[in-house]
Formats: sequence, C-alpha cells, structure tokens
Amino acid sequence: MVSTTLTNSIRRLRFEQHEMTQQELAERIGVTRQTVNAIEAGKYSPSLEIAFRIAEVFGLRVDEVFAHHHRGRK
Amino acid sequence: MSFREKTAWVTLCAILLVSVMLSVHASQLYEPHSGLRVLRLLHICVVAFILIELIAYLVLRVRYPKDARTPKDEREQLIDLKALRIAAYVYFAGSLVAVFATIHIALGGPGAVATSVVLAFVVAEIVNYTARIVYYRLGS
Repeated sequence: MVSTTLTNSIRRLRFEQHEMTQQELAERIGVTRQTVNAIEAGKYSPSLEIAFRIAEVFGLRVDEVFAHHHRGRK
Repeated sequence: MSFREKTAWVTLCAILLVSVMLSVHASQLYEPHSGLRVLRLLHICVVAFILIELIAYLVLRVRYPKDARTPKDEREQLIDLKALRIAAYVYFAGSLVAVFATIHIALGGPGAVATSVVLAFVVAEIVNYTARIVYYRLGS
C-alpha cells in the first residue's frame, strides 16, 4: 500500500499576505480557527472545496498551496 | 479550545454528574417491584441532565456569542461522525452484554432488562463525548 502525506504552505502564505491571522483566514473560507490550525499543522486534510477556497484567498492554484508526497510502499 | 469542544465538555460533565446520581441509587435499580421508583429516578436524572445542559449552554452562548452562531464546519462534522461510530459499536455491544447478563446471570425481569439497556446507552454517550474531546484535542 502506498502511504501519502499532504503538506501545505499556508503558514508562509499567511505571513506574506500582511500577516493574516488564522482567524481571518478561517472567516474567509468559512471554517473555525481550530480547523485552519489543524490544516496548517497537517493534522487534518481539508476537502477539495476548502482547499480551493484557501487557494482562492491567496490568489494561487491548489497545487501551489498543497503538495502531495509519497512515503514509499508498505 | 473551540466552542464545540467546550459544549462537548459540558455534556460529558453533565452525563457523568447524572451517572453519579444514578449510581448512588444503583441498588434500587435492580430491586424487585421497584418499577415506579426506577421510573421516578430516571425521570429526575433526565430533568437534571436537561437543566445542567441548558444552563451551561446559555452561559457559553452569552460568553462566546460569535462562536455559538458559527455553524459546524466539515472537520467538526467529521469528528462528530467518528465519535458517533465508536459510540454506536459500544451501545450495540453493551446492550447485548447487558441484556444477556441481566437475564442469564442476574436473573432479572423486564424492568431490569430495560434499566440495563438505558445504562448501556449512558455508557455509549460517555464514550461518544469522550471520543469527541479526544479528536478535538488531537486536531483531527
């Protein structure tokens, strides 16, 4: 079975966007601050809809915000 | 701590408090011909639970009005479903064990069987809200 991880650059993008807070991003994409925190920390993989909303906020494509890594075979 | 996690803590504490109330009178639950007393006890416990929940929820709503108005997002809905799945297994297994034990080991009547199923439900709800809190703490 192939194991994969989803990483993201939301934290860096927030700081590049005039140090946008997690709360501000959460309000713009319609989730709670805790959910933004969980996504940033890689503890929760968002739905495609939320991923597109996040990318939209930063004016980027989804693959510029999220990256998919293979961790090898088990 | 998110608003949903706070409400999960409130519900868990309310259930535990009511469970303590029930366990103090546990001996009455399985006495023969105690149907009306058991019903009255369960009635008091349900009313106490609703009152605790209502008061605590109102306090939280007044203290965090913005969070209270925000609908559940997808992660919170997923946490609810994951916790509910675990609780459903506990309730199913707990009910079977409780009914079997009441009939075949304790030799209890229909009232005792009903009480055992209610107790299995209470345990499942404790598991439900504990699992929610654990998932909220883990962030997933």
